[in-house]
Amino acid sequence: MTHWMKHWKFISLLAIVLLCSCRKSLTVEQENSTVEEGYYQSAPRIQQSVIGGYVDLRRALLANYAWMMYGEARAGDLKVAVAFQQQVASQQLTATDQNLVQLSDWGYFYDVIKDANDVLDIVEQAEEGVLSTYQYNVYRGEALALKSMAYFYLARIWGPVPSAERNNFGAQLTSEEVVAQSIVWATEAQRLLPWLLLNDDGIESTALTAVRFNKTAVTSLLAQEHLWLGNGQSAYDVLTNTFTSSTADSLSGFGLAIGEDRRTEIPEAPLSAGILSMPLATFNAIYPEGDARRAGMFNISGNSATLIVQDASKVDLLPVREINLLFAEAAWRSQRFDEAKEWLIKAANGATEDYSALTEETFGDALLLERQRIMVGTGQRMFDLIRFGEVPSYISAFTEADVTKGAAYWPLSASSIKDNGWSQNAYWAIP
Amino acid sequence: MELLPKPAGKTLFFLFVSFGIAMSLWAQDSLRVDSMILSNRSGLENILQGSIAGLRVKSWSGTAGAQSTLNVRGISLDPTDQSTMPLILINGVPMVASPSNVTGINPLTYFSPEQIERIDVIKDIDRLAAYGVQAPNGALNIIMKEGQPGSIHVRGSAYAGVNFLQNMDYRRDAFYNFNTMGRRAVYGDGGMVHDQALIVDGAGSYGSYLFGLSNHQDKGIIRGSGFGRQSLFLNAKYNITDRLSAHFYNNMALASRNGRYEGEYSRDLTLPVVGDEAFFMDKNRNIGLVSSMALAYIAGHGITIRSVAGLSYEGASRDVYIPSNLLDGDIYASSAAYKRQLITWNTSANYLHEFSDALQMDMTLGNEFRNTDDRLTSVNGQRSMENGGSDFVKVVTGYNASQTIALSNHNTEKLLSFYGTWKFKYKKDLDVNMVVRADGSSLYDQKWAWYPALGIHYDLKNSLNIPVKLNAGIGKTGVLSRPEVYRGQLDGYGDYYGGNYLGVGQLYPAFSGAKSISVTQIDAGVTVALGSVLNLSVDYFNRTYRDFTYQRYLSNISGIDYKYETGGTLGLSGVEVTIDGAWIQSTHFSWTSNLNIAFYHNKIKELPDNIETTSLAHLGSLSGAAVTSLVAWEGSQAKTIGNSEPKAFGGFTNTLRYRNISAAFTLTYAWGSDIAAESFNSRYDAESVNYQFPLKNAETPYYLINQDADGRSVYQGIRTIEDGSFVRLSRAAVSWHLNSVSKKVELSDLEIFVRGDNLLTLSRYSGINPEENITGSRRYDLMYTGTPLPASVALGIKVVF
Repeated sequence: MTHWMKHWKFISLLAIVLLCSCRKSLTVEQENSTVEEGYYQSAPRIQQSVIGGYVDLRRALLANYAWMMYGEARAGDLKVAVAFQQQVASQQLTATDQNLVQLSDWGYFYDVIKDANDVLDIVEQAEEGVLSTYQYNVYRGEALALKSMAYFYLARIWGPVPSAERNNFGAQLTSEEVVAQSIVWATEAQRLLPWLLLNDDGIESTALTAVRFNKTAVTSLLAQEHLWLGNGQSAYDVLTNTFTSSTADSLSGFGLAIGEDRRTEIPEAPLSAGILSMPLATFNAIYPEGDARRAGMFNISGNSATLIVQDASKVDLLPVREINLLFAEAAWRSQRFDEAKEWLIKAANGATEDYSALTEETFGDALLLERQRIMVGTGQRMFDLIRFGEVPSYISAFTEADVTKGAAYWPLSASSIKDNGWSQNAYWAIP
Repeated sequence: MELLPKPAGKTLFFLFVSFGIAMSLWAQDSLRVDSMILSNRSGLENILQGSIAGLRVKSWSGTAGAQSTLNVRGISLDPTDQSTMPLILINGVPMVASPSNVTGINPLTYFSPEQIERIDVIKDIDRLAAYGVQAPNGALNIIMKEGQPGSIHVRGSAYAGVNFLQNMDYRRDAFYNFNTMGRRAVYGDGGMVHDQALIVDGAGSYGSYLFGLSNHQDKGIIRGSGFGRQSLFLNAKYNITDRLSAHFYNNMALASRNGRYEGEYSRDLTLPVVGDEAFFMDKNRNIGLVSSMALAYIAGHGITIRSVAGLSYEGASRDVYIPSNLLDGDIYASSAAYKRQLITWNTSANYLHEFSDALQMDMTLGNEFRNTDDRLTSVNGQRSMENGGSDFVKVVTGYNASQTIALSNHNTEKLLSFYGTWKFKYKKDLDVNMVVRADGSSLYDQKWAWYPALGIHYDLKNSLNIPVKLNAGIGKTGVLSRPEVYRGQLDGYGDYYGGNYLGVGQLYPAFSGAKSISVTQIDAGVTVALGSVLNLSVDYFNRTYRDFTYQRYLSNISGIDYKYETGGTLGLSGVEVTIDGAWIQSTHFSWTSNLNIAFYHNKIKELPDNIETTSLAHLGSLSGAAVTSLVAWEGSQAKTIGNSEPKAFGGFTNTLRYRNISAAFTLTYAWGSDIAAESFNSRYDAESVNYQFPLKNAETPYYLINQDADGRSVYQGIRTIEDGSFVRLSRAAVSWHLNSVSKKVELSDLEIFVRGDNLLTLSRYSGINPEENITGSRRYDLMYTGTPLPASVALGIKVVF
């Protein structure tokens, strides 16, 4: 005993050392779960986190065919072959239907924002040598573009929305503040992203570029955002500085790649045959006889015209064909009327109308019509009506006063306004 | 310094060999199995029912091979989880003792009661803290029989009997009005139960040995079902030298349980009434191995070093086939395997020191390593009969991938512990026990948690000549909070770009504040001996549970659904009273009694802020009330409509002996518990009734709000709230030692006995068994409701050569 007592300090020290050295042996790598610690230590894994953002954006826009419901289905242009589409078209957006409740939930868009912010952290914290400069730029650019796009959708669908940024989490932002913030991110992304992305073999891949953010797509997004805020000159500058004759061969649109989602409620074939259509009368009204684009865009069968899906493996969101329309709008909004007409005529190749005779008063309607025709299937229509201030003209359920109250925006689901100080806007709050 | 003379060292060595493994803590209550009334049912927990104050054994299911719920001063926030189960030790070595989720077979059936010497029940904090987070809710240490002095003894025992359902009234059956006719055809009296055990043992200067085998078969009361177990076991000690000895223990058991469709499955299965279920298959097979090896070395100077390696393994597999006549034209097959293993290694040094003739110290310092590894693999699939085939094809081949669900799940956990126990003994008057244990768990970022305890036991008899013993204790222990969440978790969201890329995102963020639930316990007790006739003990305990891990649901702008937090405080207190009477003790006649009763009270002392946005939201209305409250809605108000736990429970055992004939019986009882039975008829989609629960005649106005698989609200009406109080004649036995016969045929002992289980239950509960609902609620789908509990009577014989 006395022998032991002599060494009590040593024994205590040994005990402390033993306890500390046990940390590693008490860390277990579980097979059935993946922990964040130590995961993002290679470029392919960091890319997985970027892809996570795309998958969440896909959830946001494909769950219940949201991209259509927020766009052409709500505006009454296209019909989606699901039962609740009728309620959307008749603006009964607060009906007690589970699908509508989900559509009025903004959660998936915030999932995209969280993913994007996580990616920004991950690429910043990546150890030296893990990412090449190209990879760093692309992943950061994609994250910024995804975040910009998610916020832009939020502002266009709901108007004022809360911030999910670390510095002002939960702060109530106006629609303009949201889009202004989105422009900052898209501007940086535009600088970082290449025209064409490299595949895993290091070769430029058009197929891959078509389903990831690229310079063309983020420029379109940025131009859209500027135009949303009425900054025609900024949009014009962005477009003219980016798209030149030398870049014509490098253009690529952006769409969501279709794939399997772990959440089974996300449709895996949203563009299956016959899902998007319009009544023949509507079709004839939008695309009059003689319009050269009719046959290439729709199949006519009986009293219905079905949208032809060129590539069912992706849902186009920012197609190349929009660029001329954006040029036209930017030029028009920045007092370059003649140039605007030229861009519109170029965009509307195949139309029966003679757009060379347009006046400044009639240009807006013509542009809106061509956007309706050309952008069909991309989910932009309702946003166009809002941007052009034409909602009451095209949606008979709403008056000017309704739109002022917020009718053009979507109502919010109960889970979106729970415990955060938000309430339904003045229009949708009406019982 | 020569602290102890050598003979004393040897004596101590044998003392250790006899009593201790690793932490040689003495138990609070010790039950010698040979003097107990055994049960015809297979699980060891059944022989403990009603034997110890505060040990609750709830016979919720009559299915042979199922485990009755076991609880020693345990409580949790979830009435359906297994975290309140006490730690089960075999010779001091932990074993995997909870039933596997796959087969439901009770690991406490792996042993024959004939193998067991005694069962120590450990519940006071100054003993319990030494087990740390392994035993937050008490421990049962099952000490196996060892070889007795002599070259060889052979002990055989066997019994056979029948199960029967007394007064089986199908209208009282939980499944009433659901395939009633089918069940009436399936339940039947006369299912055989029989058991055989053979043990060979001996002991000498070399050590001791004991080996044997056993067989138990129980057909229950559901035709075509049944449970069986065969085991081989060995318990051997070998004195390698005077100072070094080894101890081997091994028990290998094969257990099987055949299930049956009618009578054992939930009401959720849609079905036509089943005419012929001959091709239904539910085969459950377990292999259970409990093995340990101990080395003890007397180092001299009062120091003994011990090292014990333990291995507990269970392989459980289940094969199910449901023919097409049950599934509207489809056939279903599934196969699942669940392998659980627990490896422990405990090394300790014990030091005995006499400060003086009056003051002695017994100190143990040790460490323990515990590795848990569980793996589940299952495949199931369903296919229609459209391509031919028949019910007779039990093996379903040709699933296509989309019809088959495969699952593999693997969980590992490590626990590393250091502990020290100090027992000071001053004369015969005062014992002071001190414990310090540090548990390091792989579940947390902050690995280590400390569990100290102090207990004082004072016997007034020596100094004041008053036959009163007092004890008090205070200390801490903990409950492991699972799962591991401190490193966050990533989730694969989906495939992208032709399936070439996987999208990954954060499922939940790292939670560095993860820790075990802390349990603070205070004990106080008094024991009064009135001569040699009566012994009365009253024990009070108070436990406070803090820091439960729960999910905090985040607003939907967060990008993740929830994060983890810890909080909440739960209290459990109780008084346990035990009266042991030895009323008559004469050569020809003796009569002893044990009456025990426990009064428990639990209370939610504190809930996390904004409880409605947490996974504990269902407890929101219970702040300050019992966590075991049954809560339902009446109109738009949440109301407490009862308490699933009894106010008091216990047992009453009487043992009478006249010459060679003994008779004994145990009554168990509980009162003050409530049972809420959900209605099979008033169940509504909330939207379809415009969010107004329609009242129904002859049912209560109360209802529950549940979510169905599609996330829609469902109003579930409650038919009745009933009193769950009962008194049950749990076990009764009469035995006769045939001394004259055994002398004639030169046997050491010959005994015949008649034994009965669950012979009579008095209760006002309208169902068959007042304990049949695990949660106190009889759900409409009977998910936590057991099958009717049968009675059984058996005739048996024991022979010792």
